[in-house]
Amino acid sequence: MTHEELEEAVPLYAIGALERSERQAIEAHLLSGCAACHAALKDYQTVASLLPFGLTPATPPNTLKAKIMMAPPPIPGATEPEQAASKSSLEPGEWMNHLFPPIAPARSLPLRLAMGFAAVLIIAGGGYLAWLSYTQTTERSGEIQQLHAAVQQETARVAALQSELQQKDQTIGTLKSEMDQRVTEVTELRDQLLQREAELDDAHTLLTQRDTSQQRLARQNEEFAGLFKNPSSKVVSLAGSDMAKSAGAFILYDPATKKAWLYAYNLPALPSGKVYQLWAIDDKPMSAGIFGLDTGQKARMLIKNLAEFSRMKKFAVTVEPDGGRPEPTGAIYLIGQI
Amino acid sequence: MEAASRQAASTIEPKLLARVAKGDQQAFGQLYDQSSSLLFTLAYRILSDRDEAAELLQEVYLEVWRKIAKYDVGRGSPIAWLVTLTRSRAIDRLRARASRGHHLVADSFDHPLVSHTPDVSQNPYEAREDTELRQMMAKAILELPLPQQQAIEMAFYQGLTHTEIAAKLNQPLGTVKTRIKLAMSKLRASLQHTLPPGETL
Repeated sequence: MTHEELEEAVPLYAIGALERSERQAIEAHLLSGCAACHAALKDYQTVASLLPFGLTPATPPNTLKAKIMMAPPPIPGATEPEQAASKSSLEPGEWMNHLFPPIAPARSLPLRLAMGFAAVLIIAGGGYLAWLSYTQTTERSGEIQQLHAAVQQETARVAALQSELQQKDQTIGTLKSEMDQRVTEVTELRDQLLQREAELDDAHTLLTQRDTSQQRLARQNEEFAGLFKNPSSKVVSLAGSDMAKSAGAFILYDPATKKAWLYAYNLPALPSGKVYQLWAIDDKPMSAGIFGLDTGQKARMLIKNLAEFSRMKKFAVTVEPDGGRPEPTGAIYLIGQI
Repeated sequence: MEAASRQAASTIEPKLLARVAKGDQQAFGQLYDQSSSLLFTLAYRILSDRDEAAELLQEVYLEVWRKIAKYDVGRGSPIAWLVTLTRSRAIDRLRARASRGHHLVADSFDHPLVSHTPDVSQNPYEAREDTELRQMMAKAILELPLPQQQAIEMAFYQGLTHTEIAAKLNQPLGTVKTRIKLAMSKLRASLQHTLPPGETL
């Protein structure tokens, strides 16, 4: 700052409107002993201190004086420790300290005065240098602190980003393992599905087979019932012989289809290697089929083509070796006439 | 008490401060009587709160007790020292309040530098010297253009720097600086004959 600029800044300094750096520059200039600026500042400072006289007076509370007077009186000569550095605003009287150095008490002793003056100069000069270096050091350390703070901030940010990255990695890992698990599960499910499909095929086949046998049974039942209902059907009863007294049977014959049904009951169980054989007898016996026993000593047999029924006189059932015989060889168990 | 309160704030004797410095309670009481009204007016003007202004005055007088030994008559008039101390402490409070998020002060012209219908009557509790000074100051301030009054008011009573004032008023910094300089220069001229003799340029 030039002297002109400093001089221009004096009224702003007096009213407290300068920024800290400008204030320090002015104070340094005043320390250098500029008489013109000293005089201007004293006037402006007086003007500033008179400003409150322009305000509408306010009266302090009546109790205030008592409160203040109760404060303990100071020990004469005791001074407060300096706190200027901690205050945010300019210490009152700072300008006064710069402006008006205390009047030396020993005016009558020129040597002491001169020494005193020299000491004041040395102290002032030293103070100025100290102030300059202090200002620079303060600025530098301020910059260093700022940089340090910036570095710390950046470090914190990097750390934050790193931890975020780690978190993301962890999430990805978790998701990957989850996906692997899902893939395994899908594979297992596919295998299970294939197995189920195979089982279903088996079941379907079984069902078809069962259907077939059941259908056959149902058809037989139907045919049997049809024969009963048909009015043109003919019936022949067979009675048990001495071999099987409680046994009996009947034959239903449908002339239209030439089919006949044998239904036998209470027949004795067959020894192994033996079957029952039905004989239709005209002049001589003709085989009409062989059959075994269902549960409950019952038997049913369909004779598909019995063309010569009307000619037949008798029907008989004998026990014959497996596969039957062309002519009866065993004992008669059932016999009946038309 | 009556006689003491009639003594002017503007005419506090440096000798009185010297007595206070020696621990003279009576002198301290007199110093209070002469200065408290002006200092309270100032504190109340800055803080806009009577209780806080009273609290501040307690602190200021305590500081006067403690620091008075350092006061040197050659460094300025007693009232200038007291006003500067009080303003500085009040602005400190204002800034502390602002940093706590409270509003600073109401709009500057809610509390103008002077009443636009100045009370020029003789206050029975005010010394004649102070009344004269008050009237003179009010006249000098009212002669300033409003923008200059505003700049002075924002700097002195709101504790704002020229940069802060410029930002607040949305005016160029140079304009604000010029307003303050012009205002101070005019006030100095208006008050020329009240300034300490021999010290003026």
